[in-house]
Amino acid sequence: MTVNFHTAAIVAIACWALGSLLSVLARRTPALKLPALVLSFGGSLVMVGFIAFYWSLLDRPPLRTLGETRLWYAALIPLVGFLVEYRWKITWLKYYCMALAAFFLGINLLHPEVFDKTLMPALQSPWFIPHVIVYLVGYVLLAASSVTALHNVSLQLRHKGDDTGESVSHYLALLGFVFLSFGLIFGALWAKEAWGHYWTWDPKETWAFLSWLAYLGYLHAWRYKIDRTKLQWYLALSFVVLLVCWFGVNYLPSAQNSVHTYSQS
Amino acid sequence: MVVVTRRLFQTPWEFRESALFTAVALFFGFAVQYAASGQGVTLPHLPFNAVALALFAAVVLGIGLACRNNQQVKWLGGIPLGLCLIFAIALLSLIGGIVPQTEAAPGSLTVRLGLNRIFSSWPFALAILLFLGNLGLSLSWRLVPFKLKNLQFILFHAGFWIALSCAIFGSPDLQRFVLPIEKGKASNLGYTMESETPQQLPFSVFLHDFSLEEYPPQLLLFDGQSGKIFEELSKATILVRKGITASWSGLDVQVLDFIPYGLPGKEGIPYPADRTAGIPFAKIRIISANKAPREEWITTGSPMIDTRDAQAGSLSLGIRPGTPKAFRSTVTVHDENGHQSKATLEVNHPVDFQGWKFYQMGYDQKAGRWSQVSVIEVIRDPWLPAVYLGFFMIMAGNLLFFWNGIKRTEGAS
Ligand code: HEM
Repeated sequence: MTVNFHTAAIVAIACWALGSLLSVLARRTPALKLPALVLSFGGSLVMVGFIAFYWSLLDRPPLRTLGETRLWYAALIPLVGFLVEYRWKITWLKYYCMALAAFFLGINLLHPEVFDKTLMPALQSPWFIPHVIVYLVGYVLLAASSVTALHNVSLQLRHKGDDTGESVSHYLALLGFVFLSFGLIFGALWAKEAWGHYWTWDPKETWAFLSWLAYLGYLHAWRYKIDRTKLQWYLALSFVVLLVCWFGVNYLPSAQNSVHTYSQS
Repeated sequence: MVVVTRRLFQTPWEFRESALFTAVALFFGFAVQYAASGQGVTLPHLPFNAVALALFAAVVLGIGLACRNNQQVKWLGGIPLGLCLIFAIALLSLIGGIVPQTEAAPGSLTVRLGLNRIFSSWPFALAILLFLGNLGLSLSWRLVPFKLKNLQFILFHAGFWIALSCAIFGSPDLQRFVLPIEKGKASNLGYTMESETPQQLPFSVFLHDFSLEEYPPQLLLFDGQSGKIFEELSKATILVRKGITASWSGLDVQVLDFIPYGLPGKEGIPYPADRTAGIPFAKIRIISANKAPREEWITTGSPMIDTRDAQAGSLSLGIRPGTPKAFRSTVTVHDENGHQSKATLEVNHPVDFQGWKFYQMGYDQKAGRWSQVSVIEVIRDPWLPAVYLGFFMIMAGNLLFFWNGIKRTEGAS
């Protein structure tokens, strides 16, 4: 099993690396455009295939441990990059996205997973998959939004900032917020069925609420007369809150009695 | 850009006034909390909380509609104050997300400031109340006169207003009790987290049967003396199945045969039995570096049957019961008015009865599959439909937002 993951991960990383290289070269040699695209997509396809294979092997969706959620990131983040390129003709984002995906796979390669087929009863719910997938998509979009915002900040520092960059980071944040809101509410509806109450201020819930508030604040600031170039800093930093929520919660003093912390690793 | 030449409290008010106002409110909240020696906010029960909420909503909407041109009221319902209050709530939640929300040393500053009960503290209540006021005002201006293009705004903001206000004002009416019931007996005594004396409930629950399904047992290598468990080379948890293999350094193990439900037979060879009495047995082959391979039957054991492990040098190889996969109780509930209902309770599948929700909560973990006790939780939350209405409005707003968001950028580009 571990061997399969090694192969899949290395093939995917190789696809992204080659795809990136070819698409850089494609600026001079347009004929390389297609192979570059095929290879970059191929990397994600390999991961999607691996997830499907792994899912059937485990008899449950691989969405339980942090390592398993990283597989989804690795498959999905590059797709956001391709989408943005297609929609706004912004090419640089996909390089970041593929690098980020390779980085996630790298973590998994360095820390081989603890394979555990069992799923505790509270997680065996029809809400499980929609809740986690909606959150994953939300995080992917917000990660992309932060990367874009960071890029905008660096452009501003070199006095090259433009409105397109800001509208990309804004649009990604807006979509991410929609998914975050769905994730939060799905989580509450599920908690009612599984644990008896929709909201108990468990540390994981509190941090999910905090990350939601961070983006709520952003959307209202954007609507108000706040300088949009300054908001790029805010967007870039908001992702830190998400990161704490995603895996930092396990290390906080308040987490000792959380029911929702992911299995470690 | 914000005009910076404006003096503090010169109209129109904006961020500085909002930040000041919010800071004063937080300070005031903490001062009250301190003065009350850490005593949190207590809200009244139905119907008084509903009346209070209705009055509050009426006052906010009334002020919003009557004074919609007043500069200060505009500011009270504006985005700058909203942003500051969002920040304040985030700050308080941050405290709640870092400081453990459990008992702390009595008299300590943490307790006096309510930091370990932040979500029922005075500053939090005050921030939420102001937030609801601010949100309510901005809502009143979009509700009247009603325009279809404001629908998305209304769904989001009214949905959140309803969900938040009903969750908070309704919290005193949330009742949860835990009922431990023995098989073949009925009980109407419910325990709460706060007290050790049980309360009489308006219904009784009879437990017909409790059953537990487990995942396959796990194969473990451990030091019999210290109990230390050794990780297998692939770091996997090994679930026992016929034909699987596992390796530790210097040791290979094969599972030759597996009987999920068996009983010990002659000469240590088990035979298959029925589900209720049988326990897992595995026949394993042990191959270690310089010894001849050995074959042996091992078992998890049960309250009635001894566990049997195999020896591998100074270490032991054993199988242990798998983690619970599902557990369920068959119960009959009666209430004082003669309503009766038979149901099967399972984790994630609560059952409704006369306004109460019944949850499968736990069992006697020492006895595992043989537990004679089932622990059931019963919960009543009369405000749930209102909170869910708010949730569904937010989700509807979300869908519109998703759609409009796409259209807006298309228009812009
Ligand atoms: C603190 C109280 C709040 C105030 C004063 C406030 C006020 C506003 C205002 C004035 C707008 C601009 C609407 C427009 O131009 O059409 C807006 C937009 C919005 N609000 Fe709020 N709001 C508050 C809280 C909330 C909450 C709690 C939510 C989430 C449930 C929310 C979600 C939104 C969304 C999604 C938008 C649209 C943003 C966009 O189009 O870019 N607001 N809000």
